[in-house]
Amino acid sequence: MLYFTLASKAYVRNLQYRAAHLLHNVASVLFGYMYACIWIGIGEETSLGAYGVQGMTSYIAFTQASLWISGFATMGLGIPQSVRTGQIALDLMRPVHLFPHLMSREWGQIAYQFTYKSIPIYLIYFVLFDLKVPRHWSTWLATCCALILAGYLSICINYVIGVTSIWTTESNWLYWTHHALINLLAGFFIPIEWLPHWMQSLCWFMPYPYLLYVPTRIYLELGAIHSLIGSLIWCVLLTLFCIYLTKRLRLKVEVQGG
Amino acid sequence: MIPFKPWLKLYMILIRSSLQSRMQYKFNFILSTMLAAMIQIAEFLMVALVLYKFGAIRGWTVYELGYLFAIMTLSKTIYRSLASDVHHLENYLVEGQLDQLLTRPVPVLFALMTQNFRLMLGEILQGSFLLIWSMRHMMNSGQLHAMSIPYTLLMILSGATILFAIGLATASAGFWTTRIQELQTLTEDAAQTAAKYPLHIYPSWLKSFFLFVVPVGFVNYVPSLFILHGEYGLWLLLITVGVSLLLLILSLQFWSYGLSKYQSTGS
Repeated sequence: MLYFTLASKAYVRNLQYRAAHLLHNVASVLFGYMYACIWIGIGEETSLGAYGVQGMTSYIAFTQASLWISGFATMGLGIPQSVRTGQIALDLMRPVHLFPHLMSREWGQIAYQFTYKSIPIYLIYFVLFDLKVPRHWSTWLATCCALILAGYLSICINYVIGVTSIWTTESNWLYWTHHALINLLAGFFIPIEWLPHWMQSLCWFMPYPYLLYVPTRIYLELGAIHSLIGSLIWCVLLTLFCIYLTKRLRLKVEVQGG
Repeated sequence: MIPFKPWLKLYMILIRSSLQSRMQYKFNFILSTMLAAMIQIAEFLMVALVLYKFGAIRGWTVYELGYLFAIMTLSKTIYRSLASDVHHLENYLVEGQLDQLLTRPVPVLFALMTQNFRLMLGEILQGSFLLIWSMRHMMNSGQLHAMSIPYTLLMILSGATILFAIGLATASAGFWTTRIQELQTLTEDAAQTAAKYPLHIYPSWLKSFFLFVVPVGFVNYVPSLFILHGEYGLWLLLITVGVSLLLLILSLQFWSYGLSKYQSTGS
């Protein structure tokens, strides 16, 4: 119940900025539209493999909408800010573990972003382009699971980024590096099978493909559902790592008066 | 009329102190510089990998795209280095910090431009490397010639002026709206990303938007038509410079007008 309250509070807090966020959606749609134009341009001269032009516009539309679930989490789950202000000491004193506490808040954020960003953005693309949509209900179900796992992975990665701020004083740059890696290794703009071989191998040793590529392939009915096992394994590994980091964080935190 | 030299001297002193304060955290400074370069390279790799796989995008080769990309990066670097906090005006408006700048015996824009000076080494390294790499290849193939170098330098300077003017006009809107981040995503982030690609890949309405509404097309695409493809003539370059100066004047006037309407958010 506590975790649900934390999540719903984060959701409600965001509702105040709905108008500004809807304006932001225009820019977000524009980004995806530009990427789709690039693929349409390429598709005029070359075949786009199993996807085709329609498949690639559908791919870009889906990844652009999914970014708000698995790409744009709160930077470091707000930990760097807490470290700067000293709030982290109070957060660690609460009778609830820091990791699920921050995770619940972030789920509220993701739920909001899904409702007010992902869905409107995808609907606009649906009107602008001729998009492929799943024909089987099982695909819808598998896509939902893939997106939930992707959201969970994104929260874990951001938790790790946030916790590093206790050693590095700021984790802004790690956050932006994470974004650059999403662009390149999560299949955000280029499907992973079109990357050079060494890069493909590198991708599959990281959680990045499970953030966007795997959910998108499942949605487009090009990927197998059993690839979700990979997502699950990464979720378990990162959860253990986050719990371990919290222990280290407790030992490192210093209260410097005030 | 106040002489230019003392202002420049004052500017350099303020920039130096701003830089010194950033260098207090050396590890952070070095790490952020390296990561910024990595981010830039990853961004270009995203497109380069597509070209590696599929060849050209509507007739533009990877070298031409690298050139467009590098011009945008370097122009943006000059703008964001010299006027970092123009882009972050929202923080000043929301937290009422602009009131402090208003009390200083220098113009507000000048005071703002000397705050938090950023030496964007990562972007400079990435942009310069990409520019030299693409220009060298195009010079070897005879597509570019010796005059292309001064033309390119002029293009980078006029590009920085255009981006500064767009950034300043967007920031000025904050005097009425207070929050400008969403608008900046559209007029700066999305527009700059769009202009890293040749504008003719977009439908005509979007192309016109980036030429006449948020004129980022003049930063790299329009002058490149002449420099890379020899289209239209040298006057295209002159028009670009003219557009950059006109935008600068208009944005400065808009800034002054906005500042005269400024109301503090209070404490």
